[in-house]
Amino acid sequence: MHFWKKNKENRFDVIRKALQRMLADTFNRDILVLILISIMIGSLVASSVSLAANAYFSKTLANLVGDYGEYDLLIQAREEMKDDTAQQVQKIIDDVFPGARLKEGPTITGKTNFFIALPDQYKVKKTYEDLGKTFGSIPGGAGVGVLTEPRLTIRGVPEGAKNKLMENIEQIAGVKFAFHDGSSVGVVLQSLDKTAAVSDQIKNLMNQYQVIEISFPVGSEPGNPIRLGEAIASDMTNQLKADYAKNVSIDGKNDDMTYMVSTMMELKRFLLAYASTVTLTEDAGVKLAKGDIVALQGISSSIPAAGSAVAKENVLVEITAVQANGILDGMITQGDASQIVNNQAYKVEQNTFSQYAGTVTARNPRQLLSSALTETSKFASQVPGFAQDAQNMSSIAVNALDNYSGSMNAVNQLLTNLQSAGNTIQNVTGGLTAIDTRSIENQLDNSSHAMGGLISTLQVLKLINPDVGSTIDNLSNTQNGLKNIKSGLSAMDNVASQARQAKSTIDTIVANGNSTVAALKAFDAAAAKNNLADVNTKLGMLQQVNVPLITAQLQYMAAAAPNLKDEDISHSVKLLDKFIAGQAIPGERIQILTTSNISTDAVQPIVVSNVGHNNVTLYSTSLGVIEPNARGQLYQVLSEVKAVLAGMTAIVITIFVLILDHTAIMTYMRRKRLEKKVKARGWRGLVFRLTAVFRNSERQYGMCIGAILLTAMFILAKGGIPYLPWIGVPVLGGFLGLIVSGYAEKISPVPTEELIAGEALGLSFDEIMREIVIPEGRPGLMQKLNWRKVKFK
Amino acid sequence: MLTIKNLTKRFGSLVAVNNLNLSVGRGETVAIMGPSGCGKSTTIRTINRLIEPDSGEILVAGSDMLSLSAEDLKKMRKRIGFVFQHFNLIGRLSAEENVMLGLVMSGVPREAAQAKAIEALRKVGMESHAAHKPAQMSGGQQQRVGIARALAFEPELMLWDEPTASLDPILVREVLVVMEELAKYRASAMLVVTHEIAFALHVADRIVLMDKGSIVEEGLPSDVFVSPISPIGQKYKELIEYQLNTSMTTLAGRGLKATG
Repeated sequence: MHFWKKNKENRFDVIRKALQRMLADTFNRDILVLILISIMIGSLVASSVSLAANAYFSKTLANLVGDYGEYDLLIQAREEMKDDTAQQVQKIIDDVFPGARLKEGPTITGKTNFFIALPDQYKVKKTYEDLGKTFGSIPGGAGVGVLTEPRLTIRGVPEGAKNKLMENIEQIAGVKFAFHDGSSVGVVLQSLDKTAAVSDQIKNLMNQYQVIEISFPVGSEPGNPIRLGEAIASDMTNQLKADYAKNVSIDGKNDDMTYMVSTMMELKRFLLAYASTVTLTEDAGVKLAKGDIVALQGISSSIPAAGSAVAKENVLVEITAVQANGILDGMITQGDASQIVNNQAYKVEQNTFSQYAGTVTARNPRQLLSSALTETSKFASQVPGFAQDAQNMSSIAVNALDNYSGSMNAVNQLLTNLQSAGNTIQNVTGGLTAIDTRSIENQLDNSSHAMGGLISTLQVLKLINPDVGSTIDNLSNTQNGLKNIKSGLSAMDNVASQARQAKSTIDTIVANGNSTVAALKAFDAAAAKNNLADVNTKLGMLQQVNVPLITAQLQYMAAAAPNLKDEDISHSVKLLDKFIAGQAIPGERIQILTTSNISTDAVQPIVVSNVGHNNVTLYSTSLGVIEPNARGQLYQVLSEVKAVLAGMTAIVITIFVLILDHTAIMTYMRRKRLEKKVKARGWRGLVFRLTAVFRNSERQYGMCIGAILLTAMFILAKGGIPYLPWIGVPVLGGFLGLIVSGYAEKISPVPTEELIAGEALGLSFDEIMREIVIPEGRPGLMQKLNWRKVKFK
Repeated sequence: MLTIKNLTKRFGSLVAVNNLNLSVGRGETVAIMGPSGCGKSTTIRTINRLIEPDSGEILVAGSDMLSLSAEDLKKMRKRIGFVFQHFNLIGRLSAEENVMLGLVMSGVPREAAQAKAIEALRKVGMESHAAHKPAQMSGGQQQRVGIARALAFEPELMLWDEPTASLDPILVREVLVVMEELAKYRASAMLVVTHEIAFALHVADRIVLMDKGSIVEEGLPSDVFVSPISPIGQKYKELIEYQLNTSMTTLAGRGLKATG
């Protein structure tokens, strides 16, 4: 305990002595005083400069925007046009805003300000959104701004998201209306005390949404970011079931430039669609790559030969891609596909034909289109005749249908008659069928045989009795009669047979006829007639079509098909590429407005799917930010300007103080250091040299003084430099001190001989500094302060 | 008056002064000679600690210079006059102020300091240039002011670091005359680093020859320059003979006759 107490006393003693030394009339105290006075003066000057600037700008601002809420609109016009402007503005407000008050404000940097106070009934959304239209006729290139208070401004809202946001904001209690305020959204409040509550609610509202930004590295930009954005938003809605997803690329929709770029992209696509496609089959041993140029004879009279210079009559093809099968795709950069007669291509090196490269095949879409349009024109001219013929045919068909029913009835009747005839035949031949003609024929045969036997017998008897001759004749006649009857019976049998066949045939005919009739009856002749009537009508209309006009237009289109050479197309595409590449607006990122519950991880696959590669970066940003009102923002800017001016002044003063007051001291310190300096060799020398910057006493002194001066002045003068954190202030000061210390001997070259003489004369450090070093230094505050101490003035 | 024992000073690996022993008695004038870089100036500057030695002992009027406090060192330096090769005058001060500076800083009242300064300037024949700034004076005049500045303290030991090395031959003489007068009529000890052979022969009580940081020969001028025992001494002898022969021959050739 005693030990510690003693130690403590020793420590206090050391500190007390150090303080005493410092506060004694020594040069160290001079430095301390110098630093304090430098800080005070520096802070004072820095503060004065910043305050003066602030006062000037504040006064200007007050003149510019009037009191809070006094005015609603600000019109700025060129000074030389201010009379005309005032007259015109007065006329406009008399016409459009009767009762509004106009005040001419100050003229700043050649622009005169006019303030307008609107009557309450005109403080409506339409007024603010139509400002450009309302005051569009003011001469002098006037611009119109909004001053109405209380008002909130939300910036950073993607253009496409504004309307939705405004709709939601207008539902918030305390909001009068929201309007498009340039690139921001303006929100006019009912009263000032609603500001905080409305602001909170708007923040909550914006927190419900997010903007997912999709950025593309150079070389991976999408062809048409607008369409891609729409596709991604659509997929998000469908696949992620997002409540809300919309392409709101900041520079996309509703942005004229983007529309123009989009149009250019389409124009590029259009041109490329009409560019001839050239394919090249490489010759063995030739290896071409993307970007290589090959040349063809084209319309040149000389056949290409290795070593000859490429002429403008040759056709040049730039290799644009290499297919998987080794065939090369190319684009004509000089000449046209129609000029390709000799399809042998040669590699071009340094504008000279080189080795034989292979054969090319060209396809000219413009030529194909022209041919197609010509053929279509020819076809169109045939249409009227075709329509007329078709109508005639249709009329004939209608007439045929008109006879269709009668024909059907006739056929029906015919079938009925046939059926009846069949039945009659069947009835007539039914009896014949029932007769056993075979038995009768057998009996007749038997009888005939018996008669034949009798006749033979009688013939014999006749020999005996000639009187039986008549009987024989009678019997022969009878026998013949029997034979005739048999023949009759046989014929009758044939008749019956044929009658049955006829009946069967008739039945078949009737059955088929009935089937056919049934099928024919299924045909709706009336509907067919109606349809034919419609066809007739349409054919009639077709005949009314102005075919000559169509033909003329087709011919016009054929004539209007791009009359471009391939070289024109390739040059135009390159020019478009340059322009599109120069527009950093779209293409580098796409913005999708969606609900905040959708994660970028979930969106990533959709984007990759649509883009076709995964070389994209997604991140989520807020929908927008509420910024202070214009006045607050201006004052904020003013305070920043004030801080920057104070900071810059502090830096300048620090540099001046270091140069004028401290370089002589640094020079002396350097001399003393060098007296003791032992030149190190080897690795020690290297380490010494590397660390010398921070180890040398004069540099340490410079860094300390610089850091102290600048930090103190920054604090006292409330300085600030954008992007420079507070910890950076002493670092910056130290850096300034380090730089100045490096040039100290050049700035204040104190003669070494005089220092040595002072030492040899027995002068103390303080005396040497006061009598020799400081008077030999630069004229600054230190010299002024030192002057009181110098014995030999 | 001055005793140096085993004095050593190194600059890195270079031994500038190597175990040097030397003494100068009261009223004695000792000339240190030797080739450039042999350690003469380093030796003389270590005496009042313009250069801090590494080891050894330096006694001035019985005081151990190396053990003095900073305050005592300042006091002791006022008892040691130092004349520099390059005069080392304060450029912004007049001749009188240059001489007064040390006096005033050591507490001498301004009027008394001024009187002493005028007296010192008178001794060197510069009282008429009292108000002149160094830039307004010739090298010889500046050196005489430098001598007056050293004399103003009436030092017990005068150290001369090649006082004529920066002067042209015409101006050398006016400085040597002053030095000779001081050596004759002052009781203080004088240690002179010089290349002036004539001065050494004529004025010095003792010659010390140095080479490579060490004393190689020491003795009376007549001994050192007439019967040298060191190679350096031999070279000085040859130089003297050469200069004498050359001068005599030249003078004879021109019909002039050497005096003395």
